[in-house]
Amino acid sequence: MSQHTQSQSIATRLDPVTFEVLKNAFVNLVDQMSEQILRTCYSFVIYSRDFSSAICDAQGNTIMQGTQDISVHVGTLHLTAKAVLEDFGDDIHPGDVFLVNDPYRGGTHFCDVRIIRPVFYNDQLIAFMQSNGHWADVGGTVPGSFNVQSKDHYGEGMRIPPVRLWSQGRYLSDVANLMVSNMRVPEERLGDLRAQSEATKVGEAQLVRLIEKYGLKTVLTAFEEVQNYVERLGRSRIAELPNGTWETTDYIDMDPEIGDQLIPINVRMTIQDDEIYYDLNGSHPYISCFLNSGFGASFSAVISGTKTFFPDIPLNSGFYRFVHVELPENSVVNAPWPVAVTGFCSGAYEKIMNAIFELWSEIMPERALACSFNLEYLLIGGWDRRPGYDNYFMWYDWMAGGHGGRAHKDGANALSPVFGVGLSIQPCEGQERLSPVITTHHEIVTDSAGPGKFRGGAGVRKGGILTECENTVMSYCCDRSRSVTWGIQGGLPSLPHGAKLHPDTEDERFLGTIFSNVPLKPGTSFDRPSAGGGGLGDPLERDPRLVLEDVIDGYVSIERAQKDYGVIIKEIDREIDLFEIDKEATQQEREYIRTHRRGWLEEDIESVEARYNSGEIDALDVIRRHGVIIDYATGKALPVSTEQYRTTLHKRTLAYWS
Amino acid sequence: MGKYRVAVDVGGTFTDVFVFDEEQGEITVTKVSSTPDNPARGILEGVKNSAVPLQDITLFSHGTTVGTNALITRRLPKTAFIASKGFRDVPEIRRGTKLELWDAYEDVAPPYIRRRDRFEVLERVDYNGKLLTPLDEEEARDLVRILKRRGVESVAICFMNAYVNGQNEQRMKEIIQEEMPDVYVCTSSDTLPEIFEHERFSTTIANAVLGPIVSKYIQELSASLHADGYNGDVLVLHSGGGVMTSETVPRYAARLASSGIAAGAIASAHIAKLCGFQNAIGLDMGGTSTDISLMYNGELRVTKDWYIEYGYPIGFPSIEILTIGAGGGSLAWIDEGGSLRNGPQSAGATPGPACYERGGTEPTNSDANLVLGRLGTELLDGQMTLNIEKAHEVVRHIAEPFGYTEEEAANAIIKVANANMCDALRLISVRRGYDPRDFALVVFGGAGALHGAHLAKEMEIPTVIVPPHPGITSAMGCLLVDVRHDISKTYLVNVKEASLDELEKEYINMEVEAAELLAEEGVADDHIELTRYIDMRYMGQWRSLSIPISRPIQSLEEALEQFHKEHEREFAFSNPEQGVEIYGMRVTATGVVPKPDLPTSEPEGRLEDAIKGTRNVYFEESGGFTESTVYNRSLLPVGSLFTGPAIVEQLDSTVVVPPGFIAEVDAYKNLILTYKDKEEK
Repeated sequence: MSQHTQSQSIATRLDPVTFEVLKNAFVNLVDQMSEQILRTCYSFVIYSRDFSSAICDAQGNTIMQGTQDISVHVGTLHLTAKAVLEDFGDDIHPGDVFLVNDPYRGGTHFCDVRIIRPVFYNDQLIAFMQSNGHWADVGGTVPGSFNVQSKDHYGEGMRIPPVRLWSQGRYLSDVANLMVSNMRVPEERLGDLRAQSEATKVGEAQLVRLIEKYGLKTVLTAFEEVQNYVERLGRSRIAELPNGTWETTDYIDMDPEIGDQLIPINVRMTIQDDEIYYDLNGSHPYISCFLNSGFGASFSAVISGTKTFFPDIPLNSGFYRFVHVELPENSVVNAPWPVAVTGFCSGAYEKIMNAIFELWSEIMPERALACSFNLEYLLIGGWDRRPGYDNYFMWYDWMAGGHGGRAHKDGANALSPVFGVGLSIQPCEGQERLSPVITTHHEIVTDSAGPGKFRGGAGVRKGGILTECENTVMSYCCDRSRSVTWGIQGGLPSLPHGAKLHPDTEDERFLGTIFSNVPLKPGTSFDRPSAGGGGLGDPLERDPRLVLEDVIDGYVSIERAQKDYGVIIKEIDREIDLFEIDKEATQQEREYIRTHRRGWLEEDIESVEARYNSGEIDALDVIRRHGVIIDYATGKALPVSTEQYRTTLHKRTLAYWS
Repeated sequence: MGKYRVAVDVGGTFTDVFVFDEEQGEITVTKVSSTPDNPARGILEGVKNSAVPLQDITLFSHGTTVGTNALITRRLPKTAFIASKGFRDVPEIRRGTKLELWDAYEDVAPPYIRRRDRFEVLERVDYNGKLLTPLDEEEARDLVRILKRRGVESVAICFMNAYVNGQNEQRMKEIIQEEMPDVYVCTSSDTLPEIFEHERFSTTIANAVLGPIVSKYIQELSASLHADGYNGDVLVLHSGGGVMTSETVPRYAARLASSGIAAGAIASAHIAKLCGFQNAIGLDMGGTSTDISLMYNGELRVTKDWYIEYGYPIGFPSIEILTIGAGGGSLAWIDEGGSLRNGPQSAGATPGPACYERGGTEPTNSDANLVLGRLGTELLDGQMTLNIEKAHEVVRHIAEPFGYTEEEAANAIIKVANANMCDALRLISVRRGYDPRDFALVVFGGAGALHGAHLAKEMEIPTVIVPPHPGITSAMGCLLVDVRHDISKTYLVNVKEASLDELEKEYINMEVEAAELLAEEGVADDHIELTRYIDMRYMGQWRSLSIPISRPIQSLEEALEQFHKEHEREFAFSNPEQGVEIYGMRVTATGVVPKPDLPTSEPEGRLEDAIKGTRNVYFEESGGFTESTVYNRSLLPVGSLFTGPAIVEQLDSTVVVPPGFIAEVDAYKNLILTYKDKEEK
C-alpha cells in the first residue's frame, strides 16, 4: 500500500497527522450537517435523502461534500457558493445567511434550495457552509413544481437568485414571507428553511472549534491541501490509464414538438496524461419540454459518472481540476435562461451518466456497467375527500428499478436510480395515510431485466387506485419509453417505461412518460413499471443453470428463458421448485437464435408493427428481437427513432455477438 | 455450599466464563476456545473448566453470537414469507437504497428469504384499519398445502396496514397452525405493530428466520445445564440491553440478532454509576474494532435504526452502539494521495501485528505502541513475547516517505488512530448535543486503556475509568442486567386532539401485555418496573423524539415541555409556538434482577511493591522518550495515588498514564485517571 507514494506524500504543507486529522474533521463536520437535516426536515423529499451538504472555502471552492450526498448535487455546490460571492462581493457579513435555487446560476432545479452561511473568524470571511435540500414545493402551476408542459421557468416554480435571509443575525421575515407565500404549504417551507439554516450553524460551530484548536493559518492551509490531495489522488489514477479518445451517444425519447426522433446527447471523452476532457458537442439543441439540463446539472452528471469509476476518491473542487467539461451553449445539456429544466433529472442528467458509464466500461472492463432504468416521478394532486379529511393532497412517488449488468455479475435488482442510490423510496403505508390512493401492488416485474450473459437487475412496478377524491390530476416525469434502457457488450435492452390508466382492463390507456394534468376520478386505477437494467454480454452465453434459478424465482418466465436466452426449461412441479433444463433442446434453440437474430433486427418496421398489433409478438419481442420503437399509445412504429435505436443496437450489442 | 453467578460471553474466538462468587465477593474468569459449530459445547466446557458446581449457580446469563452468525451465513431454516397480494417483493425492494453510494460493484446483501419462498394471498386492510378484503380462506388453505409440500419450518405473515388491524394476519396464522401445528409462525402485528411496511416486515422476517434456531439453541443449552445440576433459568442478553428467558425467545428472537453487543455498554454504564457518574461514554477497543456507547442521566441511549446487514432493519429498540474500524490490529498506510491513514482494514488475529511474529508485514497500532514503549515486550504476564525489531521494521514503511524517525512515525500512527476515535466520540456526543465535559470515559477491551487518557484529553473529558479487568468487562455486563421487554406501537394524533383517557387505555393494554411476558418468565409482581415513553415530533416533521411520560398520565404538558427541551438539546433549536404531534408509544417493562455487589477492598500493601521497574516511553507532550514507572496492576493497593508518566501492566491489558495525569485506585480497584492541568486549561 505504501510503496509508490514517496514523492507525492511530501507535497503537503502540513504534517501528515494534522492533515489527516483535519481532512477527517471536514468529512465529519459535513456529515454532521447532513445528519441534522435528515432528522429535522419537513419536506418528505429531503427526508428521503434528496439533499447534500458542503463546506466551501472563501472563494466558494468545495472543500468537502457529504459522504452520503445524492449524486445529482455533486459538482454544483461550489457554483452556488460562487454565485453568492459574485452577487454580494464585499457585502457579506457575519450572521448573514443566503438562499439560492437558481439552475441558471449553477443550481440543479428550483426544488433544490441551497442555504449558504458565510463563516467568519476575526472578521475575516473564511468559509461557506451549505445545506441543499429538495423542497416538496416551490410554487408554479403544478403541485410539486414539476410542470411537464412548461417551456420556460415562469411556469415551473419560483426562481430565487442569491438572496439574503438573515442580515447580520437578523431574520428578514419579509423576504422569507415573500418567498414562501408563493409556495404550497408555506409553514412547512419555513420549517425546512429553519432546519437547513440550523444545520449550517452546526457546521460553523465545528469549524470554529477546529480553528481554535489548530489555528486559523493551519485550517486555511488544510482547506487548500485537502483539495490538492484529491487532485493528486485523481491525477495519479488517471496517469495509469492509456491516453485515447472514446465517444458514444445516448438519447432522450423526443422533443414533443418534433415528434418521431430520439434526441442525441453526445459524449466524447479524451484521456490525456493525467487529465480527462469531456466534450458534449454534437448534443441536440435544447428541446421544448423540461427534460433539458442547465450547466450545473450537466457538470454534475459528468462528475458523478466519472466518480462512479473512482469510488474511493473524496469529492471536492480538487476533483474538478483534472476533469474538464465542455458543454455546448443553447443545447439540451446547457440550456440557457429561461428554458425549462426542472425535469433534467429524468432527461439529460441520467443520459450523460449512462453514456459515461459506457465509455469507462471500455477503459475499465472489470468495472463495466450497462444502462440502468430511468428516474421517474409520478405526481397525483387533488382534493382529499376521505371522511375526516378536507385538504389538498399530493401523492408524489418515485420507484426503484434495475441497474445495468456488470462484468462478473448481474445488475442490482430494485435499486434507487443512478441519480442518487441513497434516495429512499417511500413506504406505501405512509402514503396511504396521507392521500386517498390505495397502492394495489409494489412488486418486481418478471422479465424486466435486460437479458445478457450477466443480466440487468429486475425492475419494479407500482400502481394503485383512487378512492374519495375530487379535482384530481396526474403528471409524470420520466423518459426511455423510446430510448429504451440498453445493454452493452452484446447484452439486450430491458423494457420501455410508461404509465397506464386502467391497466389490464378494456379501458387501458397508455399515457407515455411525459404528461401532466390527466384528470382522475375515484375508482381510477393506474400502473407503471420501472425498467430493469440493460444486459451485459451475449445472453446466449449465459449459464443455463443461472437462467433456471431465475425461472424458479420468477425473475424470468419460461417463455422468455426460451426467447431471450435460448434455454428450454420444462416445468415439472412448480409448487416445489421442480424444473428441468432440456439440454439438447437448449442447444438447438440457441443455434436457431444465433442463426436468425441478425435478420430479426433488420425486419421491416411495418411488418413488426403489424405483427405486434395482431398479438403475434409482444412488446418485449418488439424491442429485444427487432429493435423497433413503437408509440404504445397508438401502436404505430416510429421509423426515425427505430433507425436511430437500431444503429446503437448494432454498436452496443450486435458487434459483440459471435 | 457456595453461591455463584455465572456470565458467559461467546465471542468469535474465545468463550469467556465470568464467575462471581457471591459469598467471597471474588471474580474468576475462564477462557476456552469458542465452538462455532455448536456454541453450547464451548459454553459447557467453559463452565466445566471454571470448576463451579452447577447446582450452586444461582443465575446463569449469557450473550451469544448464534443469531448473528445464522443471519450472516444465511444458514437459516426454510422460511416462507406471506404478504398481501401485490407486496411479496417488499423485502427485496426495501427502501431501494444502498450504503456504498459510489461503488457500483458493492451490493446490498440478498434478502433473508428468497423470492421463490415469498408468497401472496388475497386480503387487504386500509390505512384506518378498515377491512377492505377479508382473508381469502380458500386461497390461504391452498397456500398452506403448498408450504407443507415445500417442507417449510417457519413462516412470516406480513400484511399491509396490519399495524392498525392484525385480524387478517391472525386468521392466516390460525389456518397455518391448524394444518401445520409444528411450524413456527410470526405475524407482523404481533412482532412490531408499527407503521412502514418494510421496517415492520423486515423485523418480522428476522424473527421468523431466527426463531427456530435460537429457540432450539436455548432449549438444548438449558437441557444440558439442567442435566448437570443447574436449576435456574438460562438468561440470554438481547440487543435492548436486558435479558430474556427461553419463554419469550420464540416471540422476540430478532432481539437476539446480536445478543452480546450490549454487554459492554451495560458494564461500562454500571461501573460509571458505581463511581458516581450518571453520564458516561463507554469505549471498548479490541483487536479490530472499537464499540462506543453513551449513557445520559443514567440511561443508555437507545436507537431503532439498527440492523445486522444494511437494508434489513430490526425495529426493536436497541442500545445505540457506534462501531468503528479502529483496534490494536488496525493497519496504518499511506494512500495514493499521500495521506497517512489508519484502518479500517485490520491485520486481525492472523496475521496480526508484525510484532506478534505470525506473518504480519504491515504496521499496526500495536506495532506503533510497542515502538513507543507504551506496550512492553511481554504480554499476558510473560506468556507472550513481542518482537520490537519487527515493529520497527514495519513502522519504517511510514517513517521513510515522510522523512520521520521511527518513533515519530509511530507517534503519528497513534495520533491518527486517536483522531479517528475522537471523531467517533464526537459523533455520539457533540453531534447529539451532549457536552463531553459532562461525561466520564470508561475504557476497556484489550486496547482501550492504551489510548483512553489521550482521547479524554483531546475531548476534554475530565475523568477516565479503567475497570479492574478491562479484557472481560463485556462478560461481566451479562451479570448486570434485568429482564426487560419493550412494547411499542404507532399512534398518530395531534397533541391538541389527543385524549388522555385513550392514551392511558393504550398504555395499560401495552403494560398488561408486558407484564404477562414477565410473568411467563417467572418475574414476581413486586419486581416489575414499568416505564412509559411517548414519541413526539413537530407537525410536518418526519422524525420523532422519544420522551418519558408519567404513569398514569397526568397531562401532556410536561412531556411537551420536555420535547421542546430535547429538540433544543439534540438539534440546537426548538419552536414552542409550533404544533406537535404524537407519533408512537412505548412501554419498557423491567423485571428487576438483584445485581451482584462488586467487591470492594480496603487499602492493603504499599505502592512501591507494585513497581516493576521503569522504561522509556515516548510522549510527544514531554518532548520524546521519557522515563516512566511501570506498575503491576494486581499489586496496586486500593487508595494509592501516582502521577504519569507511568505504565500499568496487567494480564489482559496495559494502561498508559501520560504526563500530567493523576491515577488513583478506588475501592472497586478501578483506576481513575484525571488530567491535573485541566483547571488551568
